[in-house]
Amino acid sequence: MAEEEGGAVATEDPATPELEAAPGHDPLLHRGAEHSHPSPAKYVGIAILLAIITALEVGLYYINMPAPLLVGFLLILAFLKFTMVAAFFMHLKFDSPMLRRVFITGIILAGVVYTVALLTLRVLV
Amino acid sequence: MQTAIAPAPHTPAPGDHDYSVTGIDSRKLGMWGFLASECLFFGALISSHLLYRARAPQGVKVPHDVYDIPYTSVSSFVLLMSSLTMVLALAAIQRGDHHRLRIWLLATAFLGTLFVGGQVYEFTVFTHEGLNLSTSVAASSFFVLTGFHGVHVTVGILWLLSLAGISLRGKLPAENHLWVEIAGLYWHFVDVVWILIFTVVYLVPNKH
Repeated sequence: MAEEEGGAVATEDPATPELEAAPGHDPLLHRGAEHSHPSPAKYVGIAILLAIITALEVGLYYINMPAPLLVGFLLILAFLKFTMVAAFFMHLKFDSPMLRRVFITGIILAGVVYTVALLTLRVLV
Repeated sequence: MQTAIAPAPHTPAPGDHDYSVTGIDSRKLGMWGFLASECLFFGALISSHLLYRARAPQGVKVPHDVYDIPYTSVSSFVLLMSSLTMVLALAAIQRGDHHRLRIWLLATAFLGTLFVGGQVYEFTVFTHEGLNLSTSVAASSFFVLTGFHGVHVTVGILWLLSLAGISLRGKLPAENHLWVEIAGLYWHFVDVVWILIFTVVYLVPNKH
């Protein structure tokens, strides 16, 4: 484990060196699995930001504004929180792009299927 | 005569039995696949609730009539902070700090318990205010959605307590940090689902 620039902590999986040396394994494939995670101080910073966004959401709820505008703001803030947790706490930003693709496929599939269903049933319009 | 040379069969090396052909640990890839499928599961529950609450007949009690937003906001904040303690637990085991690992795992389980306890209290208040599973289809879909989320949190708490117990017995070495990472992925997912539920179900005004 080594401290990198920007406070990131590089983590090593002890299985990786064995794998790279193993016959039949492409070391390039395993580069995707290597990752460096943020430092604990950065995690705390992200959590503070998430708490501020939550407070902002609740504050918006009590402000008198047109419903479409309120819904738009709330959805943007929720998306921001979702992305921050997935990217930093779940390490999607640092892990293999394959994992990102797997998860985003699930989100897009769910988003498209249920948005179409709710539009068809005239719930969203 | 030329003979085709078949490629040598891959001989697994010691320690690589957990890796898929993608180079990613199969347990981690499997967990991400499971979480992707959970998006569809919770998506179905959230959209069902949106549909039924928008279609609720006039005069029928819907969850929006009894929400206590300040209370649920605090409860959401508690779950959000449990994601921080979870990621700190992972950072601790990656540093080989087993004492802090247990502290953060137990703190996460405690915050999760606080959230589930808050949800049970919320359900009790709603029931006293005349909103229960059979009041309306909107109420049913609300209780099923938030109830399933609560069950997910409870499973997560049991998982974290098991990890803390295994660590206490000295059977969770630093090289097995993936166990904590996979439990963490599940825990963070439960948190991101609540981020959506809190916004879409609680804060977005009802069209009805």
